[in-house]
Amino acid sequence: MSVSASVDLKLDWDIQEDPVKLVPFEERITKGELVEPDDWMPHNYRVGMLRMAEHHANSEIVGALPEGEWITRAPTLRRKLALIAKVQDEVGHGQMLYRVSQDLGKPRDQMLRDLITGKTKYHNVFNYPAPTWADVVMIQWLVDGAAIMNQATLADGSYGPYVRTMKRINMEEAFHFKSGEDMVLTMMSGTPKQKQMAQEAFDRWWAPCLMFFGPLDKESVKTSPFMRWRIKTATNDDLRQRFVDRFAPAALDLGLKIHITVKDQDGMVTEKREDTEIRRNEKTGYWHFSQPDWNEFHRVVKGNGPLNKKRVALRRFSYEQGQWVRRAIVGGSDLPPLC
Amino acid sequence: MDKLPNELKQPLVELLLSVADDKFILGHRNADWTGLAPILEEDIAFSSLSQDEISHAIAIYQIAAGLVGSTADKLAYARKPDEYLCAELVELSDEFNWAIAVCRNFFCDHHDYLRLGRLAHSSYVPLAQLAGRLVAEEQIHVQHVDMLLKRLGHGDTESRERMQSALDRLAPLATGLLEPTQGIELLEAKGVYPRIEPAMFERWTEDLRHVAEASELKLQLQAPRAEAIGGRRGRHSDAFASLLDELTEVYRLEPEAAW
Ligand SMILES: [Fe+2]
Ligand SMILES: [Fe+2]
Repeated sequence: MSVSASVDLKLDWDIQEDPVKLVPFEERITKGELVEPDDWMPHNYRVGMLRMAEHHANSEIVGALPEGEWITRAPTLRRKLALIAKVQDEVGHGQMLYRVSQDLGKPRDQMLRDLITGKTKYHNVFNYPAPTWADVVMIQWLVDGAAIMNQATLADGSYGPYVRTMKRINMEEAFHFKSGEDMVLTMMSGTPKQKQMAQEAFDRWWAPCLMFFGPLDKESVKTSPFMRWRIKTATNDDLRQRFVDRFAPAALDLGLKIHITVKDQDGMVTEKREDTEIRRNEKTGYWHFSQPDWNEFHRVVKGNGPLNKKRVALRRFSYEQGQWVRRAIVGGSDLPPLC
Repeated sequence: MDKLPNELKQPLVELLLSVADDKFILGHRNADWTGLAPILEEDIAFSSLSQDEISHAIAIYQIAAGLVGSTADKLAYARKPDEYLCAELVELSDEFNWAIAVCRNFFCDHHDYLRLGRLAHSSYVPLAQLAGRLVAEEQIHVQHVDMLLKRLGHGDTESRERMQSALDRLAPLATGLLEPTQGIELLEAKGVYPRIEPAMFERWTEDLRHVAEASELKLQLQAPRAEAIGGRRGRHSDAFASLLDELTEVYRLEPEAAW
């Protein structure tokens, strides 16, 4: 059974769940058992899980846009083919995750509309520009690399359909990452112009990738029930540290420099200086790094990033130009016309 | 034959380039929909078609490159606009009109299916082997695009009207696919590009009309005038130069570099 579309999809922490159901539910989760769509689940578990899966699905299809722009300009046949396949994978991830979300009670068309009317969000990192081919390279290396780190922990969650989807997605993301590694290596072994392009793109993406994992733990809203229910399994700061430990040394090995940057409102770097904090702590093995500009993070989350409007507008354009096709093939939507 | 007589080389290179250029540019145009198609499932399917077209183009460029001493990438990225031999139909932007996109593929896939079917019986063995493999994939494209045409033709009034006007708009351009490349008679005579009965235009229109009728759509195709000169002789639409500019934008930054 899937719940009907009429289910109320708001979090409500005043709800008193029936302990006869809640206690065994939480015991199962502690034992590491998976929750399936037909199982009883607390209202807030359903809503929390739906929000996460929907946000993730949105991120996949918006994430297809910055790289999609470069398909027409990919510099070799092999790269062009690989880029189409890569963006296609991201759309496929979106499709799988919308399915998971649909089963939790929200129709797909509603989700696509909420995305283009700004009611729901997608990952912040896709509000930054990809002005050169080297940005495609950095997205596949750094952003897919960050996504794999995050998603590896999500594959350890408690909701069966999401966990299984995450495992499948991660296999494909590993491919993207490999191709990203191959491309960054090729450019960094290339001509001076290619190296400069790679460095400039790296400068644009380093800070957004640090922000990728969300705000500092001390500032993020209490998510304890979600941690207890294993909807989330690692903290933002943990994941960020793992990212830096993996990518700071890799970047330095490739000959890239890690910079602290100042950007204009279009997301282009206007000033940069070397991040002198970057070094490995020999005692702990962890890498030190400078925090990104968290004010910028909050600005972008609130919708005032370099490309928020452009990305949403393109999704809206796609939605609107495809409406007649969906009406003809999958039947009309019950939803009122978009205004 | 495994080795090609000298006098067939130039005609075959032109024929191969016409096939590969059609596929390369069609795949390039179709990929505009990746991430933006009307239905997620169709987005994924359309991207696969686009990848197939480009993969086919690569394999055919490789044979041509072997004959002229070049590489597939150089053929794809480093020719002048008038050295491309694609038909005008594949060059045109569909302006994000799904009906145009589907109808364009309808004309092209049916044509490619026949063309590859002929090449699969080529007396030039390496080509016959390759085309035999490609024609099987092309058949899947044909099935997919026929299915789309039928579903949209039978959909509702709006979708039928949109499909009909796209067919009407593209039909005059589509026959340009059949413009012969130079020296094709020689290739036909030597069995490198075997003739079929009934001839190409009749077979192609027959196949198309059949599907159009089953989709409640009308299709009028006029046989191309023998003296019409277009893409197969390197004459292209105005849009083609800017298409190539975009396609080669990164390549041209460092043409000798690896990417
Ligand atoms: Fe993905
Ligand atoms: Fe990815």
